[in-house]
Amino acid sequence: MEGNKTLASTTVSNRDLKPPNKPIYQMKRNIWKEMKKNYSSYLFLLPKLVLFSLFIAFPVVWALVLSFQEYRVNGSIFIGLDNYISVFKSEAFMIALKNTALFTAVTVPFNIISALVVASLIFPLGKISQNFFRSAFYLPTVTSMVIIAMVWRWMYNYDFGLFNHILGWFGIESINWLGQSSTALWALIIMQCLIPFGVGIIMYLASMGAISNTLYEAATIDGAGAIKKWFYITIPLLKPTTLYLVLLSTIGSFQVFTQIIMMTGGGPDNATETLVHLIYKTGFRDFEFGLAAAQSVVLFLIILVFSVIQFRMLRHDE
Amino acid sequence: MKWVKRSFLSILSVVLLAGLLVACTDDEGSSDDDGNWTGTITIWDGPRWPDEDDNKYHWLEAKAAEYEEENEGIEIEIVQVPWAEMGDKLGVSIAGQSWPDIAPVDISGSAVSIDHIEQGVIESVDDLFTDEELDDFYENSLEAYTFNDQLYGIPNSITVHSMLLNLDLFEEQGVEPPADGKWTWDEFLNTAQELTFDRDGDGETDVYGFSTYILEGYYEAWPFFYKDGGQPLSDDLSEFTFNSPEAVKAIQDLADLKHEHDAAPETLGGNDVGGTFQAWANEEQRTVAMQPWATWAIQSAQSEYPTNFMVAEYPIGERSEHVTIGGVGGWIMFSQDSDGKREAVGDFMKYLSTTEEQYTMATEYGIFPARKSSADMDPYAENEQMARAQEMTSDVVMLPRHPEWKKIDEIIQGKLQTVFNGEKTAQEAMDEAQELVNDLLE
Amino acid sequence: MNQQKRFDKLNKALIYVILFFFSIVSLLPLYWVFSTSMQLSSYESPEMERPISYVDSNPPKMYPMGFKLYFEHWGEAREAEKAGNTEEAQYHRDQMSHIMNNTFSSFVTLFKKHDIGKWFINSFYIAVVVTLGILLLDSMAGYVLAKKRFPGRNVIFWVIISTMMIPGQVTLVPMFIMIRDLGIMDTHWALILPDLSMVFGVFLMRQYMYSIPDELLEASKIDGASEWKTFWTVVLPLAKPGLAALGIFTFMNVWNSFLWPIIVLNNADLYTLPVGLKTLQDANLASFKLLMSGAAIAAIPMIIVFLIFQRYFVKGLTLGGVKE
Repeated sequence: MEGNKTLASTTVSNRDLKPPNKPIYQMKRNIWKEMKKNYSSYLFLLPKLVLFSLFIAFPVVWALVLSFQEYRVNGSIFIGLDNYISVFKSEAFMIALKNTALFTAVTVPFNIISALVVASLIFPLGKISQNFFRSAFYLPTVTSMVIIAMVWRWMYNYDFGLFNHILGWFGIESINWLGQSSTALWALIIMQCLIPFGVGIIMYLASMGAISNTLYEAATIDGAGAIKKWFYITIPLLKPTTLYLVLLSTIGSFQVFTQIIMMTGGGPDNATETLVHLIYKTGFRDFEFGLAAAQSVVLFLIILVFSVIQFRMLRHDE
Repeated sequence: MKWVKRSFLSILSVVLLAGLLVACTDDEGSSDDDGNWTGTITIWDGPRWPDEDDNKYHWLEAKAAEYEEENEGIEIEIVQVPWAEMGDKLGVSIAGQSWPDIAPVDISGSAVSIDHIEQGVIESVDDLFTDEELDDFYENSLEAYTFNDQLYGIPNSITVHSMLLNLDLFEEQGVEPPADGKWTWDEFLNTAQELTFDRDGDGETDVYGFSTYILEGYYEAWPFFYKDGGQPLSDDLSEFTFNSPEAVKAIQDLADLKHEHDAAPETLGGNDVGGTFQAWANEEQRTVAMQPWATWAIQSAQSEYPTNFMVAEYPIGERSEHVTIGGVGGWIMFSQDSDGKREAVGDFMKYLSTTEEQYTMATEYGIFPARKSSADMDPYAENEQMARAQEMTSDVVMLPRHPEWKKIDEIIQGKLQTVFNGEKTAQEAMDEAQELVNDLLE
Repeated sequence: MNQQKRFDKLNKALIYVILFFFSIVSLLPLYWVFSTSMQLSSYESPEMERPISYVDSNPPKMYPMGFKLYFEHWGEAREAEKAGNTEEAQYHRDQMSHIMNNTFSSFVTLFKKHDIGKWFINSFYIAVVVTLGILLLDSMAGYVLAKKRFPGRNVIFWVIISTMMIPGQVTLVPMFIMIRDLGIMDTHWALILPDLSMVFGVFLMRQYMYSIPDELLEASKIDGASEWKTFWTVVLPLAKPGLAALGIFTFMNVWNSFLWPIIVLNNADLYTLPVGLKTLQDANLASFKLLMSGAAIAAIPMIIVFLIFQRYFVKGLTLGGVKE
């Protein structure tokens, strides 16, 4: 009841301060009245809002401030754009940016297209088969990336790993997957591509269910085949879902981290360094908090720009 | 239903605030009637040797209980931190200003650096010992904890890296191990080649002579790079010197064990520490005959992975004397607010570092004592392998103690990896490293 | 026409073949976790020179060898018994018990020598606390944001939603400093409080609450119920499917969360499963069999939760994805 009381008392004191009979204040007073009437709604919101402001809103603002400071235990100092300058001058950041961009550029289209294909293949099946395959493809998604990374590291093992064994079937020599700069990043990319995009498959299936049958019937009457129908009806109508999924997985793969720390630690020789791993290292190994904050702000801006571009591109073709 | 609402709100606020408040109350301690400090001392430690219940913290737990009994009003809180996480976690706790009172690390920069000393995070323990007492410690162990003529920790152990040779494989191939574990690079190379063989005759090599790995924070391979006189940084720490001809040659020599001589597996210079050890020690594998390891591996090969092995020195190159890399372990004290507590913490640290305790550590845990008196008790009278490794403590060179060492190490090891996976020559890789490292040295 | 039918059948068969192939690729890693975790790591028989491990064998064994060998010895023990050769029968019995012990050895080791039991309890406790908290807080917030009109509603909603676009790493450093200043470093509070502030659920619950008919709420009001009572007795029961979906996703996210826990947890007593698994791998002496056993233990609860509550997963995904 505490919150209720303070709310009410502020209302009163505020109202007392206002000169009466002026329309603009009248409106304000109405707002106060409205707020007072709805005090219970605020109470319902209060706990979440407190947590939200404390652990999300405030840290976001603070991150911005920090990125212009050199953090020191006893009072940080404002250093202008220095952190941002060192971000863009640092070779490590550029390598991380390049690796992350390559990772995203390959895995996102691959994952989306394969999810679309798999969903299209599953969709016409009976209920039981549909459920079976949906589970088979979604199960890896509910498994922690830590676990997946551990087992892939084991499967990539040079001497006893499953993959070198499979290569052996085809007479191909063993590859030191994670040990060479030339293959390490690709090993991680292949891994990401082969983990099914469960979220995508399920959302495509749901959206396909919402497409009206009459469209397909009309196309059948016009003599269109299955492939043609897929290209001219299914794909265009799934565009909003695709847009959402592209955004979702782009944001996700820009934040790739767990695989890196569990499988390569960014090595060999920075070949698998990514942005978030770099932020983690800058912040919590080197403890350059200001620099880490600046790196994370840059990461955010990159994601933002990409999201806006993708949004525009996919909307404009219509 | 008003009570539901009220109780709900109060529960919520309790949940939100209680945790914060409880955690916020800082235990600064107080004094008892005699003016002795009372309160809680927090100590971090990693897992050591197990007791019957496989409890790897039993030694410290027992010592803490004893100490609590002897000193009423003092409580010891033990925080268990795995060794592999110790450096990072301590770093985080320093940044988080939530450091313990005592931690088992050195001041070389892997967890705590001289920067921290200058910032006042680490407490000097100069006044804990008299000069006579200090005479009982080995000179190089004290040096490892000395900065600006002040002592910043109590050394309790010395570790060295040495070569471990699987004698069963030597026998299988009829190869003579080096006499007294001393050999030159050429002898080593020959031995490694002779120990590389195809056991089952399928045309593929089953056993390799040598292997090791290259990874941030690990230095098993490094004494090889010192063999011709090279070292990573110049003595005054102002310059990167691993691209000097003598260092480059030594690096290339080791990498060529794989690239030229096929005496090492593809995984030489990889980053799989556990896999490398298993290949040498695991009874079901034993696919590598010789590997360099820190002292703990000797203990492990005597107990968990019973192996017929001997301890040898690193091969000697143009430097013409044996060098190995080692480390000094011990306890450091973090910054204290009150003199009373400072005294109590120091007292407990001393309690953990007596001659008897270091002797126990030496026999049970497999690290060499930093006290001469403990060494005089001859902990390795019946342990030939440990005794041989202990002899090497006099050949130990320390890693450069630079505040940015973690970053320098990362660069060097990253570039070394590219030499061992065949992507670059030692010269190319070290020249690249020089450019990056010199930026940090400025 | 007949031909057309045959063509369709062929098509269908092809689709099944393709899908089965993809499913195998999809499930192979998980299979490999379980297979390696139960692989025989030490086996010796008279005709062998030295004991062998099927974990690090080349070529790798595709299934746990222990099961096959167990039945082989079982069969031979039976035959030996029939033939009256007790000594040989005893040998095979011994081999059988050795095989069984070895097959599950690393699970025993994990519980005896490592703290996996503790990690499991920590993970479970945190996940449950956060899930219950989120369900309550987010359904309260979602409810008023969907069903009530009050000044500031839209502003609050959009401020909350817009932060969903900001990657979590942005708040990493400030959050760390804050957790430190609150004095809750290295406690479970450092995990629970930030997790309770996640906003995805507010968005999801708001979407869901829209579907609750206003008439029901008004009816409850006319009956003289307080806001809280209406929420508790009318809204929450109607929102059950939405709550189930949110609960499952929250549980999954918290159970699997990794980056933040490895930053704020120092004390091995407080580790959650993912953090514990990382230390197990970092300790470097763990065999792959042991690592995979740990992975299996961490994976099983989520697999069970998924298989039981599958339809809520689907619901949660489709609900969260609906665009304004």
